[in-house]
Amino acid sequence: MQISMTVNGDEITREAEPRVLLVHFIREILGLTGTHWGCDTSNCGTCVVLMDGLPVKSCTVLAAMADGHDIRTVEGLATGGVLDPVQQGFMEEHGLQCGFCTPGMMLTARALLDRNPHPDDDQIREAISGQICRCTGYATIVRSVQWAAEHPAGAAATGEEVNA
Amino acid sequence: MARPDPPGWEDADSGRKRYKPVTLMMLTLMTMDLIDVREIRVPNARDGLVFAPGERPLGGGTWLFSEPQPGLTGLVDLTALGWDPIRRTEAGLEIAATCTIAELAALTPRESRDPRPGQAADALFWQCAGSLLASFKIWNVATVGGNVALALPAGPMTSLAASLDAVAVIWTADGGERRTPVAELVTGVRSTGLTHGEVLRSLEIPESSLAARTGFRRIALSPLGRAGTVVIGRVDSSGETVITVTGGTTRPHQLRFDEIPGERALADAVDGIDDWYSDAHGTPDWRRAMSLLFAEQLRGELEAT
Ligand SMILES: Cc1cc2nc3c(=O)[nH]c(=O)nc-3n(C[C@H](O)[C@H](O)[C@H](O)COP(=O)(O)OP(=O)(O)OC[C@H]3O[C@@H](n4cnc5c(N)ncnc54)[C@H](O)[C@@H]3O)c2cc1C
Ligand code: FES
Ligand code: FES
Repeated sequence: MQISMTVNGDEITREAEPRVLLVHFIREILGLTGTHWGCDTSNCGTCVVLMDGLPVKSCTVLAAMADGHDIRTVEGLATGGVLDPVQQGFMEEHGLQCGFCTPGMMLTARALLDRNPHPDDDQIREAISGQICRCTGYATIVRSVQWAAEHPAGAAATGEEVNA
Repeated sequence: MARPDPPGWEDADSGRKRYKPVTLMMLTLMTMDLIDVREIRVPNARDGLVFAPGERPLGGGTWLFSEPQPGLTGLVDLTALGWDPIRRTEAGLEIAATCTIAELAALTPRESRDPRPGQAADALFWQCAGSLLASFKIWNVATVGGNVALALPAGPMTSLAASLDAVAVIWTADGGERRTPVAELVTGVRSTGLTHGEVLRSLEIPESSLAARTGFRRIALSPLGRAGTVVIGRVDSSGETVITVTGGTTRPHQLRFDEIPGERALADAVDGIDDWYSDAHGTPDWRRAMSLLFAEQLRGELEAT
């Protein structure tokens, strides 16, 4: 079947089997492998993407159900070669080790900050609930999101460029 | 967007696309759980709700996609039918089966624990949504109807609907409609009164329940664990009292009294429940004991208010 959606601001249309989950559509058909695939049972949260601005686990959504919707993946976080403050925050505060959970964590953080620019630690912890990090621990992830909240201009203010 | 299809090449002889072994493995894995599904239909009118053998309704998919579904050959996505998630009617509240748990929870702002005037049961919406052992990322997709139709003991939408005497509106396979109390629709673990081809259309909550005084208790073995028992008390303006026990039993139990019962009468009624559930989230004895304690706490609380 033909599936159309907006991904990171671009309109796309692709052929896909009806049973393909959104996570696989994004990774295998669009080649955007920044969205990770972990448990496949909707528990780990590494596959989180934003659908119409809301974080959803893309392994719980069929690609066909995302037809006509707006999807944002981790590849859509940096704009114009400048990191999103959330990405910068994860760098500044060591919010990752292996990086497996990181794309989902950062998208959830972006959605949180879009709605609540000054979250407290509890609100950050609640936002990332249902998303599991097995190596960094949550303290530095929470600090990374706080960094982004405190630096809404993020990397843009420091003029740092994304390494291509 | 200039992104490649899965890496591969066209076979010169057959003209078919060929893939590297690793890509083939991924393509196989990516459809692992829904291996038999051949078609997803997205009807936008009722006449599309005719189910072939092997076809099932698709709500949010949070359960359907989370484990293998042998024998499932097709899904009929209900979300394009355009049902209003929540409608106020003269009789009360109509919640579409496709209403997401997030939409339901948003009905009452979490910050204001005080119910709106005349809507004493307000708090229950948030309390029950919060009983789903899942983060809000699941709430954004999971539907109220999917939760009731799945009929897990810890189904919080069943707890909510049963405690408020909600009636399930069911679209039958012959194009008709029937109504049944949610407390009777869920008959056991993963078992309901829905037959193949029937679709849960909505839940109707009567005004009298929405205005009732309510109380809520839930316990799990760990802070974020699956519910061991959920006990909800309700006193209508007529004085009728309903204590609903779910979560720890295989199906909902409504203990009904003309007025707030005495301690003994309530304890006897709880003792009469004979299907305490046993799994990793609690033993039958513990579930029974906690339900008894909670029922008595709620009795005192509702008597005092
Ligand atoms: C991390 C996680 C935690 C979970 N925790 C809980 C929990 O604590 N308690 C709990 O009960 N569940 C839990 N679930 C299971 C599931 O997510 C919920 O029950 C959810 O509410 C199901 O709704 P859905 O819309 O996603 O259903 P779907 O997955 O779409 O469907 C579930 C079943 O209901 C049928 N169905 C759906 N809609 C209708 C309809 N309108 N009419 C007739 N049949 C229909 C489907 O055919 C299917 O058999 C959890 C799932 C995950 C991934
Ligand atoms: S892969 Fe989606 S939640 Fe784990
Ligand atoms: S950084 Fe390794 S799992 Fe989170």
